[in-house]
Amino acid sequence: MVEAATGPVADPARGARPIDRIGLAMRASHLLALLLLAGCLVFALVAWRTGDVFYLRLATEALIFAGLALSVDILLGYTGLLSLGQALYFGLGAYMSAVLLRSGWSFAGVMAAVLLGATVVSFLGGLIVSRVRGVYFALITFGMAQVAAKAVYNTRELGASDGLIGVPIVKIALGFTTVSSDSPIGFFLFVLGFMVLLYLALSYLLDTPFGRILIAIRSNERRVPFLGYQPQRARLCAYVAAGIVAALSGALYPMLRGFVSPELMSFTTSGNAVITVVTGGAGTLVGALYGSVILTALRSVIGSWTSHHLIVIGLIFMAVVIFFPRGLIGVIRARLESWLVRRRTR
Amino acid sequence: MTRITTTTLALLASVALAPLALAQQGPIKIGVNTPLSGTYAPIGQQVRWGLELAAKDVNAAGGIAGRQVQLIFEDEEANPAVAVQKADKLFQVDKVDFMTGTVNSGSTLAVGQIAERAGKLVATTVSFADSITGDRCSPNVFRVNARAEQQSSALAAWLTKEKPNPKVYFLGPDYEMGRSTVAAFQAGIKARGGSVLGEVFAPLDSKDYSQYFGQIRAARPQVLYTSVAGNDTVRLLTQMQEFGLLSNLQVVGASGTLTSQNIGAIGSAADNFATGVGYSPQIDTPENKAFVSKFQAAYKADPDLYGADSYGLVFFYKAAVEKAGSTETDKVREAMRGLEWDTPQGRKTMRAGDHQALQTMYVVRVEKQKFNIVGQVPATEAVGPDLCTKF
Amino acid sequence: MIDYLQFVLAPQMVTGLSLGVAVILVALGLTIIFGLLDVINMSHGEFYAVGAYLALALGAAGLNFWLLLVLVPLLMLPIGFLVEKGLIQRVFNSPDRHTTTLLLTFGLGLVIEETLAVIFGPNTQRPPTPIRGAVEVFGVMLPNYRMFLIGFGLSVVAAVALVIYRTRLGAMVRAAAFDRHMAASLGVPVGFVFAGAFAFGIALAGLAGVLLAPVYSVFPTMGRDFILLAFTVVIVGGMGSIAGAVVAGLVLTQIQAISSLFISPVWSDPIVFGILVVMLVVRPQGLFGRLGRG
Repeated sequence: MVEAATGPVADPARGARPIDRIGLAMRASHLLALLLLAGCLVFALVAWRTGDVFYLRLATEALIFAGLALSVDILLGYTGLLSLGQALYFGLGAYMSAVLLRSGWSFAGVMAAVLLGATVVSFLGGLIVSRVRGVYFALITFGMAQVAAKAVYNTRELGASDGLIGVPIVKIALGFTTVSSDSPIGFFLFVLGFMVLLYLALSYLLDTPFGRILIAIRSNERRVPFLGYQPQRARLCAYVAAGIVAALSGALYPMLRGFVSPELMSFTTSGNAVITVVTGGAGTLVGALYGSVILTALRSVIGSWTSHHLIVIGLIFMAVVIFFPRGLIGVIRARLESWLVRRRTR
Repeated sequence: MTRITTTTLALLASVALAPLALAQQGPIKIGVNTPLSGTYAPIGQQVRWGLELAAKDVNAAGGIAGRQVQLIFEDEEANPAVAVQKADKLFQVDKVDFMTGTVNSGSTLAVGQIAERAGKLVATTVSFADSITGDRCSPNVFRVNARAEQQSSALAAWLTKEKPNPKVYFLGPDYEMGRSTVAAFQAGIKARGGSVLGEVFAPLDSKDYSQYFGQIRAARPQVLYTSVAGNDTVRLLTQMQEFGLLSNLQVVGASGTLTSQNIGAIGSAADNFATGVGYSPQIDTPENKAFVSKFQAAYKADPDLYGADSYGLVFFYKAAVEKAGSTETDKVREAMRGLEWDTPQGRKTMRAGDHQALQTMYVVRVEKQKFNIVGQVPATEAVGPDLCTKF
Repeated sequence: MIDYLQFVLAPQMVTGLSLGVAVILVALGLTIIFGLLDVINMSHGEFYAVGAYLALALGAAGLNFWLLLVLVPLLMLPIGFLVEKGLIQRVFNSPDRHTTTLLLTFGLGLVIEETLAVIFGPNTQRPPTPIRGAVEVFGVMLPNYRMFLIGFGLSVVAAVALVIYRTRLGAMVRAAAFDRHMAASLGVPVGFVFAGAFAFGIALAGLAGVLLAPVYSVFPTMGRDFILLAFTVVIVGGMGSIAGAVVAGLVLTQIQAISSLFISPVWSDPIVFGILVVMLVVRPQGLFGRLGRG
């Protein structure tokens, strides 16, 4: 699919057709995703040759949180709904994964259970939140996550405020090879592959008529019913999809770090995901990935010379909102799109 | 002749082993993974001061086994997810020999597991959850500060001596840790002839505690035990003062309830509060007086229990490395087990069975912003049995 | 029975009332800013914290409490004015104003909170209680400062309502809220009114900070304390409605106070949140209408 993105542009027969703006944007995104993938592979090669452990694990963590950011982007970038509580589903996946791995489940079993659990929970949550929009949506998602985090904080069986440690190292059977979650390079490549798959699946989903309805809702919800679609149902579907993506990403966290704690469900986690998406560029999917990688690197760099790195990140975030409302990738992608158009019309 | 040969041999050997010896003679690195920002930053500050002062003292006296001590700081934000990331960095990138600094028990437990996987040793100087050296103990984790149980039984022993058969009301923060400290103190009081008049649990970060005052007043207790902490204590005690509840009521609590971090904000409402702790700047020994004056000269502040326990840790590690003759994990661990060492708080013993330090416990009562010592409980009386079964 | 009333229920309701007034003071600025500018101010709690810290710092410098009660809101006015002109207006005309201003003020709140921690340190501080002592009415202890807080807070709310509903200035504000283009063509300086209203809302948050600092103490993250409750009050009362904020503030805090006698107080937050959800599903416009609309 990524290959196809660059292929048809050279086809002169297509040049005559009117430009499909959304399809074009998607192709530009794929190009950028390909670039990121290449960057990650180069990084992995260098890290592997130098015998590094820390940076590989840090990058793996950045990719896992990129999954959470992707889920925020489905809602914010495509449906126009700002979720301030997406960490609820990330935490759900992380805790389910930790508990099940501790009782000896296999990787596939855990992921299947998380998929099922996230679908059920986000459907129930979606029944409430899909009724509201705008600031109401933001506040309800915020409140729901707060209540859930507090419940986990008070549950002895889930380790209460201390969280759960002792999540065993898991072997992931991929058919052709087996990846162990304690191999820094192996697990990094696995998580990279997982995120690429998530990205491709979401791009496909958002390119279907369903995705176009979401975009239509974002631009003008009142007109959508006249097209014969129910906005509320579409919003519910988007919410469930976002919940699943967040939970699947969260399920990878305890495999990497061997523990879970209630902080994973906190507002800080949800807020960081929003900052990531907005800085990277909402509505581009690939912006969420770039945003997570950039912000993780930034935190690591700024964090080593000042303990007040939140001020710097806050200021950068405000500057992006004011000056680059489409985010970093939004700006770059717009350039890329016009380049693609020029190449086609030439 | 023999002498010359030996010298020559030694010289030859040192030339041959030069690269290795040089590597061995670099500084000993101790990673400090502590909150430098956020709510727990003041505690991280004390940890930092205590360790820096100890490193200065140890280095001035020739270092550990002739090697200088180097401290490497990372901010863990009191968030276990950040703490493990920083622990990874300290172990993998900075290649530290030993690590300490975590404050909240979630971080200590998570970092302990990272240490196990990396084959390194860590110690906490602050976390007091019993589980760290109890049912969740780890062969790679040591604790040099007193745990909740030591603090609580010291307080209970003092209280029942001071006020025989006390009638106690309990107000705890409503989460796992708060409930377990309240339950532990209730057991301690009942075993010594006291009675429990009632208990109430307030949510964490409660804004207003006055809603519980009616129940407390109606129960007419002699003593109120609380295990809230930080801002919550400020609100609880000042609101109690506002409602005139502090007269004729002895308030006692956990060691983390009233600390040098929040005592300033509480002001006169802190007077008469009593707690069991492992340290007070008022300890009347020459060692402690010297420590306090050095600390004040360097940082313009009094050390508290976190600063003192952190100071003592460097000497614990020094004693262990010198006894082991190496910084290798297995050898140092063996040396640490059963080790006795001197600190400003007095002599401490590291219990081999669960890696919990034993020490004399003090009961302190606040008078005009000072923690005055009003009682003392011997180490063996304050600590409970070794419940660790993992090693 | 009498014992229960005297020792338990009555103090509980008084506590609820003082918390209610506190929440209303915070929510009042929030609802005015929303009603007029259609802007969600996520940094409102942090401005409340700024007010409290200003009171603390100026109080330590020797100014007395009664002076601060006037001075701090006055100092907050230019801050609010500048924030509106310099930040809010820059994204005011973006296609999705709610989300954009919410994001912008969320970032602003983060920066303010951290800056407060840098300047004043992370430790909790507390100014002295300005009015000491307590009176005993039928055996119920009523601290004097709480009584003052309730009385003064409610007078502030009444004064604000009077200004908005009974004065010429208020009429301009309501006109601008109802239809800014129409108001502008009638000669209302809309830009100034918007910035002024934002500054006024911020000043109210600052005033709440001065009033509540002695009771709830001062620390960098104190702004998060009231924010969920204040937003709930604003939504349940009807976004932009002053009367709504007052009614919702009093009712919600009484529900919290009384319910915590029967079920664990841990549930008080979920209960408030539950009310919010039910309200949004059943009557999303809130109890009362918006500012400038009926």
